[in-house]
Amino acid sequence: MSKFIQFILPFMTLVSLFTQQAQAITEVPYLAEKVASGELPSVEQRLPNIPATPSFKGKELGQYGGQLRMLMGKSKDIRMMVVYGYARLVGYDDKLSLKADILEKIDIKEGRIFTLHIRPGHRWSDGAEFTAEDFRFYWQDKATHSVLSPYGPPKAMMRSKQPPKFEVIDKYTVRYTWQAPNPYFLPALAGPSPMFIYMPAHYMKRFHADYLTKEQLQEKVATAKKRNWRGLFVSKGRQYKLTNPELPTLQPWVNTTTPPSERFVFKRNPYFHRIDPTGKQLPYIDEVVINISSSGLVPAKTGSGESDLQARYLRLDNFTFLKEGEEKNKFNVNIWGTGRGAHIALYPNMTAKEPKWRKLMQNADFRRALSLSVNREEINQVIYFGLATPMANTVLPQSPLYKSKYAQSYAQYDPKSASLLLDTIGLHKKDARGIRLFPDGSPVEILIQTAGESTEETDVLSLVKDSWRRVGIQMYIKPIQRQVLRDRVFSGDAVMTTWFGLPNGLPVAQMSPEQLAPTKQDQYQWSQWGRFFETNEGEEPPLPKVQELVKLNKAWSSASTELEQNLIWHRMLAIHASEVYSIGLISSVLQPVVVNNSLHNVPKKAFYNWDPGAFFGIYNMPSFWFQKELQ
Amino acid sequence: MPSYIIKRILTMIPTLIIISILVFIIIQLPPGDYLESHIAELQSQGESVDPQKIEFLRHEYGLDKPIWEQYFVWVTGFVQGDLGFSFEYNLPVADVIGDKMWLTILVSMFTIILTWLIAFPIGMYSATHPYSWSDYGLTFLGFLGLATPNFLLALVMLYLANQYFGTSIGGLMDSEYIDQPWSFDKLKSVLAHLWIPVIVIGTSGTAGMIRRLRANLLDELRKPYVVTARAKGLGEFKLLTKYPLRLSLNFFISDIGSLLPSVISGAEVVAVVLSLPTTGPILLAALQSQDMYLAGSFLMFLAMLTVVGVLVSDIALAMLDPRIRLQGGMKK
Repeated sequence: MSKFIQFILPFMTLVSLFTQQAQAITEVPYLAEKVASGELPSVEQRLPNIPATPSFKGKELGQYGGQLRMLMGKSKDIRMMVVYGYARLVGYDDKLSLKADILEKIDIKEGRIFTLHIRPGHRWSDGAEFTAEDFRFYWQDKATHSVLSPYGPPKAMMRSKQPPKFEVIDKYTVRYTWQAPNPYFLPALAGPSPMFIYMPAHYMKRFHADYLTKEQLQEKVATAKKRNWRGLFVSKGRQYKLTNPELPTLQPWVNTTTPPSERFVFKRNPYFHRIDPTGKQLPYIDEVVINISSSGLVPAKTGSGESDLQARYLRLDNFTFLKEGEEKNKFNVNIWGTGRGAHIALYPNMTAKEPKWRKLMQNADFRRALSLSVNREEINQVIYFGLATPMANTVLPQSPLYKSKYAQSYAQYDPKSASLLLDTIGLHKKDARGIRLFPDGSPVEILIQTAGESTEETDVLSLVKDSWRRVGIQMYIKPIQRQVLRDRVFSGDAVMTTWFGLPNGLPVAQMSPEQLAPTKQDQYQWSQWGRFFETNEGEEPPLPKVQELVKLNKAWSSASTELEQNLIWHRMLAIHASEVYSIGLISSVLQPVVVNNSLHNVPKKAFYNWDPGAFFGIYNMPSFWFQKELQ
Repeated sequence: MPSYIIKRILTMIPTLIIISILVFIIIQLPPGDYLESHIAELQSQGESVDPQKIEFLRHEYGLDKPIWEQYFVWVTGFVQGDLGFSFEYNLPVADVIGDKMWLTILVSMFTIILTWLIAFPIGMYSATHPYSWSDYGLTFLGFLGLATPNFLLALVMLYLANQYFGTSIGGLMDSEYIDQPWSFDKLKSVLAHLWIPVIVIGTSGTAGMIRRLRANLLDELRKPYVVTARAKGLGEFKLLTKYPLRLSLNFFISDIGSLLPSVISGAEVVAVVLSLPTTGPILLAALQSQDMYLAGSFLMFLAMLTVVGVLVSDIALAMLDPRIRLQGGMKK
């Protein structure tokens, strides 16, 4: 049946494309009654004058209707609907190029003057028009307001500590002008947890001190049981967390349930701005229902067919169990790639507290030797069914910046060279057990601290432990709570830890390479150096190569051409490959994605990634649809 | 008696103050605070957080104040009936717990009734037929329930219920009934899900009760007045229920003290495994994420119920058992 549909669909698409001009846009059946009763305007009036037409390449035209069920672990997780829905001013498409989505277009001059063109006639989910006023309200009454944002606008809006000049050109056009190029602006708008630079002004003014009399405000603060009006404003206006069902939104589905609840119902946004190639308003699916259940039960519930689209809380080791339920419960387990540089990587703490460890961890040859003595193929075969990729912690093969020499650098199993390297750096003496000794006579015993919620990390580590033992390095494994782990890394108590690899393993040159340079405290190999550049505390990096990374990162942000950016990326990746700041153990571990058999347009092969990707976001979830007769 | 009760109530006050301090200290003991565990959780899912915003929140939530000041704010609010604010849910604590209370009480009541229904007949039977095969057999069953890890039993039952009855996994009802008004179908769905937690939690409690009832009864049954009554030809059942059973019920009444808090909190671990919409998982999550006012207020509430429960059971014991009453009088 589905094969037949796949076969005839291209023809159907063609036919409908021809007939499109002739007929009027069809009304959404789910809303037809409200339109007939005059409660809602007709679809032509609900859509912007020029609706967004996302690419349907490789997709089918869908039918309206249906209810999509998903499972989440906590009621806070409903914020994922903003991630999956992925209506952004500008957003990535599935090829990871930036496209205007909510905006009609965006003009960029010199990388520093951004002119945003709003679609005339675009409306919030409550029917109010979306205009320049919503941007002005955010900028003047929220982001630069002394009570609401005492710390100033978000970081991506600041260039060398200067906010942009904001202008309203006309009702549908706004402009941001910085002194220097701002390459962080658009990626922040396109992020999975986006920077919202607009707010529903008509709604939020009801909770803003500047638009109310004192008595009105006091009454509202009191009824909402808040301490002050800032608390009131913030709690009413959470555009990411979706805790206020009354808050108008531009996302494809609108939350209708007030938390806390075990079940959240999202209904279609009647004013959503995207259409399919035949002019039908998206989304196809009328309702999304999110059931909250303890995260440990999600695989079991998914396996018994209680979710139509599920990836969150599923892991590769659930794969066989999920496969068993496929036939009985009519779903399909797709296997998607993941987008992190490494699934598990070891982070030598170069800012460790104890001087002898700090010195050793900062020694590139020591890190190289450790990396060479990991048998990655063994890890892949024993723990990941041979389905993962054994490589170093660098960008993934699917990224245009990938080079095999980065992935292979010190990543082949070579205990002989590793031993040689260790001998040359002064660790040639061994004790009776065969463990190498520091020059001061103490054994090289590395305590690896790992966030121990599952046994996966410890399973992998115990394999590494065996192969390190062969080159005379003793490892001890200590699973601790994630949050304690962070603290120990920051304080320098932990000499080595495990964590994910590069957050973005699928970058293109236009994306910031900040993950490769010390920029944040949560980079576990150099947390103190990262802290220095994040908040001006911590320490300055003493290593020349790391200093070079800092310079390169800076150079990227003022680079004017793609070629230049490309060169900087490769230089940084090459430094990482040769210096082995982190030891990638395994990469491209796959993500099971369970899809109901009657749910169409979910890609079979794709990437499940936070940023860029927004999980299902870049695959245009509003285009997913249910085949009726199979349901 | 009244002066005894007043004295007991007065001693409750320092007890509760000490408990409140302990609760607060223990919640604060792990390193970090709610915001740090929140950041760690976000990062594990790949999300990132703006450090400026965290500082702002820390100030907004009052987490940058010294501990004693945080404690004082919490306690003064608590006394006035303000349970504080849950960071995790962004709601007042009372709103978070409120809805879940009824389902928790429902599950707990059913569990307690089931425990009694199983334990009483078995306990009585074992006591009247001591050291027989049936005594050993039934006691063995009870111990089996006690010894099987609850969470394991819960998982096995979930699987079987799903495989053979098609019950949806976890929760207390099929998802389409959540937030719907009560109806016959909803009730049916609740009952279809309710039996698993009731059996799992119930079985763990039966063994203890069987053994205590058996031991107490055995003590009584050997006493001369029982022998006399039997010699005079009183029927076995009446012989058992007239005095020995009533006399051996003291443990049952003193159990009320611990019963009250457990009705409200439910069995935490089983509730987490079964994903029950009860208060147990909330408490556990609050402790994990250091959502301190939610955890603190809830624990305080349980502590108050325990203290009140103990008082109630003491008074009930004194009223029911003249021997206890007499002793109390003699001390005066």
